[in-house]
Amino acid sequence: MEKMNSRRTFLGVCLGSLGIIAAAMVSWPIFRYLAPRSNSGSAGKVVIPVTDIREGDARFIEYAGSAAVLVRKRGGDLVALSAVCTHLGCIVQWESDKQDFLCPCHGGHYSADGIVTAGPPPKPLDKLPFTVTGGNIIVG
Amino acid sequence: MAVIKKVVDWIDVRIGIREVAEKELTEYILPRTINAWYSMGSVLLFAFVLQVVSGMLLLIYYVPDADKAFKSVTAIMNDVPYGWLIRMCHAVGSNMMVLALLLHMLSVLFMGSYKKPRELNWVTGFTLLALVQAISLTGYLLPWSQLSFWATTVATNSANAIPVVGPYLVEFLRGSKLVGPPTLGRFFALHVAFIPAVIGALIGAHLFFIKRTGISAPPFGQKDSSNHWQGDRYRHEEHPGGIPFFPNFVLDDLRSIAIYMACLMAVVFFDPYLFFPKDAFIPANPFVTPAHIKPEWYFLANYQTLKTFSNELIGLSLQGAAMTFLALLPFVDRGNERHPLKRPLFMVCSLGGLLLWIGFSIWGHLS
Repeated sequence: MEKMNSRRTFLGVCLGSLGIIAAAMVSWPIFRYLAPRSNSGSAGKVVIPVTDIREGDARFIEYAGSAAVLVRKRGGDLVALSAVCTHLGCIVQWESDKQDFLCPCHGGHYSADGIVTAGPPPKPLDKLPFTVTGGNIIVG
Repeated sequence: MAVIKKVVDWIDVRIGIREVAEKELTEYILPRTINAWYSMGSVLLFAFVLQVVSGMLLLIYYVPDADKAFKSVTAIMNDVPYGWLIRMCHAVGSNMMVLALLLHMLSVLFMGSYKKPRELNWVTGFTLLALVQAISLTGYLLPWSQLSFWATTVATNSANAIPVVGPYLVEFLRGSKLVGPPTLGRFFALHVAFIPAVIGALIGAHLFFIKRTGISAPPFGQKDSSNHWQGDRYRHEEHPGGIPFFPNFVLDDLRSIAIYMACLMAVVFFDPYLFFPKDAFIPANPFVTPAHIKPEWYFLANYQTLKTFSNELIGLSLQGAAMTFLALLPFVDRGNERHPLKRPLFMVCSLGGLLLWIGFSIWGHLS
């Protein structure tokens, strides 16, 4: 009887293992099919002519599959920031009269440099790398 | 194992799941002489689930817009990881499902399982065959290739032969005078929502009828193969001394499903374009009709019938009559004998019909 049971256990383990292998063979293509593609939404570097952004204005762009913003502060300094609010991920708006960012979802405020000035955001907006060459701003 | 037992115990004390499992699986007794053809139903259920799952996955990337449909299907095939596998399983699976359905129907036909008291099983099964053909036809248009576009044009145009309402019916089917973006919208909705819902409901009814009436015993290997149903009151057909559905016949079902999957995968991996002529790879162009456009293999006999008769109405009426005859077969063939070799008239008619269908299909393919 014990021999019988051990044989049954062995066959059960074999069958279970085959089932797991089969399930993995089915699941892997489905997972890969559903998984976001690594290069999806990635635009690499974004090039914008310097003349496109006036002093005191901002320009929203898509960068690396997410929203970003370029600001030319009064005085001419350029800043590139992520436009995603650090509170709950809404997209911030540029208020040119106040020269700051407002997150309309829960009233978070950021300065033109992305520093939290009011509201619930726990940290500043992420700064993005950029260079200015040949009359173009290159983000990334 | 102890954890699984605890979970089952937890469910069992609440809804008595073990009692249901015993009644429906281990105490569900099938005739000892049951053969492999009886597992075609399970194969078809599996094939339908496979079509539903692969279809749902395709919906993630497919765009039902005449300007984007072909591009989205091309992207599924070339850009999305394993997209080719999902799409091929769906496209080849639909052909295999029709083949399995035909085999299921033939086995029921030759073993006389459609006879009373199983008329409702036959009628629901036959309706399912028609619906599977309809879902295949509507799905054929979705890739918006030259093949899809013109095959749909020809298929919908055949309704023109119906007197008086024909032209309006064609326009109603297409949503416009010619096949175009409105047709794609209609066929998409029919393919992914309406027809699958009706098929699902009919499968439920089909299984319910089988469970209530009880499965038929094969007519082979017994002295008396005639039908003993009395018809005075409801009786569940019992099979004393038979085998339990679980585990005995479930293993047979799994073996048949494995064979089905092996055939499906063999086509998907070794000859994926078996059912794809070259026009399936060219985007639809409403101004260029390709030469020799033909429907799927299971519509070739219908196609050739329409071509053979100069009057389309005669061709269409003949097909309608044949389909109606088959749908109502249990009400026409009321004899008690179920063994095919003891039914010479049936054998001549059914084999003749089958050969005619195959002959017309080959003729349609070669013409």
